Amino acid sequence: MKRLGVVGFITGLIVSATFGLMAAAYGLGGLLEKVFFEQFGIVGGSGVSAMLVLMLVFVMVIATLLTLAERKWSALMQDRIGPNRARINLPGIRNQSLAGLPHIATDVVKMLTKEDFQPQAANKFLFNLAPMLAFAPAFALFAVVPAGPTLPVLGYQVQMAVANPDFGLLYIFAIASLAVYGTSLAGWASNNKFALLGGVRASSQMISYEVALGLSLVGMMIAFSTVRLAGVDGMAELQGGYLWHFTTAGGFDIGVPAWGFLLQPLGFVLFFAAAFAETKRAPFDTPEGESEIIGYFVEYSGMKFGLFMIAEFVEVVVLAGVIVAIFFGGYYLPFGNEWLKSREIFVENPWLLGAVFGMVFWLKVVALCYVQLAIRWTFPRFRYDQIQTLGWKILLPVGLVNVFVTGAVVLAAIPAGAEQLPSAALIPYLKPLAIVGLIEIAIVIALTLTPRERTAAEHGHDHHGHGDSHGHSGAHSGHAPVASSASASAH
Amino acid sequence: MDPHSAHSSEADVKTPDLRERTFLPELLKGLAITARHFFKNLFGTRDANVHVLDRNDDSLVTTVQYPEEKVIYPPGYRGLHRLVPREDDPSKPRCVACYMCATICPAQCIYIEAGEYQENDPSTASRVIEKYPTQFVIDELRCIVCGLCVDACPKDAIRMDTGVHTPSEYTRQDFVYDIPKLLKGPGVSHPSDPWFKRGGSEQPAHVHKEAHTRIGEGLVQLKLPHGPRVEIDKSQPVAITKFHK
Repeated sequence: MKRLGVVGFITGLIVSATFGLMAAAYGLGGLLEKVFFEQFGIVGGSGVSAMLVLMLVFVMVIATLLTLAERKWSALMQDRIGPNRARINLPGIRNQSLAGLPHIATDVVKMLTKEDFQPQAANKFLFNLAPMLAFAPAFALFAVVPAGPTLPVLGYQVQMAVANPDFGLLYIFAIASLAVYGTSLAGWASNNKFALLGGVRASSQMISYEVALGLSLVGMMIAFSTVRLAGVDGMAELQGGYLWHFTTAGGFDIGVPAWGFLLQPLGFVLFFAAAFAETKRAPFDTPEGESEIIGYFVEYSGMKFGLFMIAEFVEVVVLAGVIVAIFFGGYYLPFGNEWLKSREIFVENPWLLGAVFGMVFWLKVVALCYVQLAIRWTFPRFRYDQIQTLGWKILLPVGLVNVFVTGAVVLAAIPAGAEQLPSAALIPYLKPLAIVGLIEIAIVIALTLTPRERTAAEHGHDHHGHGDSHGHSGAHSGHAPVASSASASAH
Repeated sequence: MDPHSAHSSEADVKTPDLRERTFLPELLKGLAITARHFFKNLFGTRDANVHVLDRNDDSLVTTVQYPEEKVIYPPGYRGLHRLVPREDDPSKPRCVACYMCATICPAQCIYIEAGEYQENDPSTASRVIEKYPTQFVIDELRCIVCGLCVDACPKDAIRMDTGVHTPSEYTRQDFVYDIPKLLKGPGVSHPSDPWFKRGGSEQPAHVHKEAHTRIGEGLVQLKLPHGPRVEIDKSQPVAITKFHK
């Protein structure tokens, strides 16, 4: 019970901090819009506030906390305690481990004070350029991800994304493919065989998965007829609508939201896998491969290595943000959005509504970060040929099939002679798409929950203890032990 | 067990079914296991009992956090050896420099140089024993803690009963223990020890023997460094009733 209280307190702290920061972001956005418009006569000052608050505060702070979370959460998953030795020598917290938080400070101090080593024969310019090239694209990816709805504050429309270009998703593809330069340059410029091996692995892996990455999102582009993420016709905003819903007596709306992963579950899995390979984290961490080659950053030390490290975690946060914006309803709740929007306090103070939705967005991001870390600590590393097989022989064909199926469903569902597609949440082919998606989800759930089917060869051996024990109990429970041992002796 | 289990290895190779070939259901199961451990350890209370098997908590963590929590040594643990001091003169070891321990030591980590108490020794009381070690050195880095020296010693002069392990040192030389470092703990006497002989008298050999036997029966108080460990409860009558009838 004590742990429950502590965890609840920390969760409350995070939630309220997110709420407060998002409220501040909207306030700052309105202020900057006002100043920019009155001083320079230009619109778009809220982009600067988004840059400051979303990227420098939210993304960086979450990425920094993830460096600790990776160690602490992995410890909990592996029945360990995790880092808790660093202490702060201040009265009151002198002997508190503070959940390992001081380790972040000690890590920073360590990174900054370590010797900045450069191999003698390395190309100095490229050697120094590589960490920046690895870090910058990961960071810049977040520019088009909206963390909240566009709302009027101080009389100006404030958008909660750094930029909202027409080519939203294409920007993500373009910048994501730039990340390969950092790693391959690091591998090459180090003048080290193992680093080069890591760099070559990284570049081939990332280039292979870019194809699957692009194809996996075509389905979503078809579904929402847009490549924008932010704005009133962006994907995040469209996911605020419902596929099927009803409103209760109190005006509370509840139903199946038009979230991307319900429309395109296959697309979601493909995108997640491909994007995970792009982040170069386990199970796709052959470029690093710490147990075989140390990887492309083997010659880096100090804060240059730290940049590679933090770039990895920034990628985790940004990937979580992109997935939330495309597949998990952006900043919207799965229910009660209309009810929330019609509350008097939110109508009068739109920035409060923005803070609530922004909080929802960041909580979803944190949840997806957890999923990514859990994946990283659950699955073993793929062998190199398995990575290429997965990319070219599985993800790519399945992605193509997904595009064809989505296109066929959309073509079949569009009413004949429709020139202009209706906008917003009334797109006619979302429901057929969602039905296909729900069937796909149901198949996966059914396969997960049902036990493994037995082949004839292993039929008689079910009480020998091989295989998972509960896998034998369900479907074939009709077999009496006597019968199966009889068939075993017949072999 | 079923005799088929031994030679049916070919049949045991599972052909992957739909769940394994689509990969996703198996991934989800794996994630469920990780998540179960995570949440069990996140919310579960941790019992800091150093006996991990006796812990009564919800958490699956088995860590013993060393400097604060120390694993209790098992009851049979002996620890670092010591040279036992003489009870009549605790500055001198009971050792008579017979080289038995140095001879039996399989690691050859004991080095002894023998000396003799002189006729005109100022402390004539020490001369009840004639030989003593001028050097008695144990290299603790070589020692394999087998305890053969303790078994070999005819004079109960070396014991492994300190209950501590070798402490860490900064140099290898510091692990070479000499007499001042080894000679510690309370002095020990046995009824047969020569300083119990009255001057000019000669106890018959069988008396010595009898005295040792009495220790075994608990009739004579055996003096041990840690008194309560093997203390005989004098308040209770000796349990000889079971030999009646």
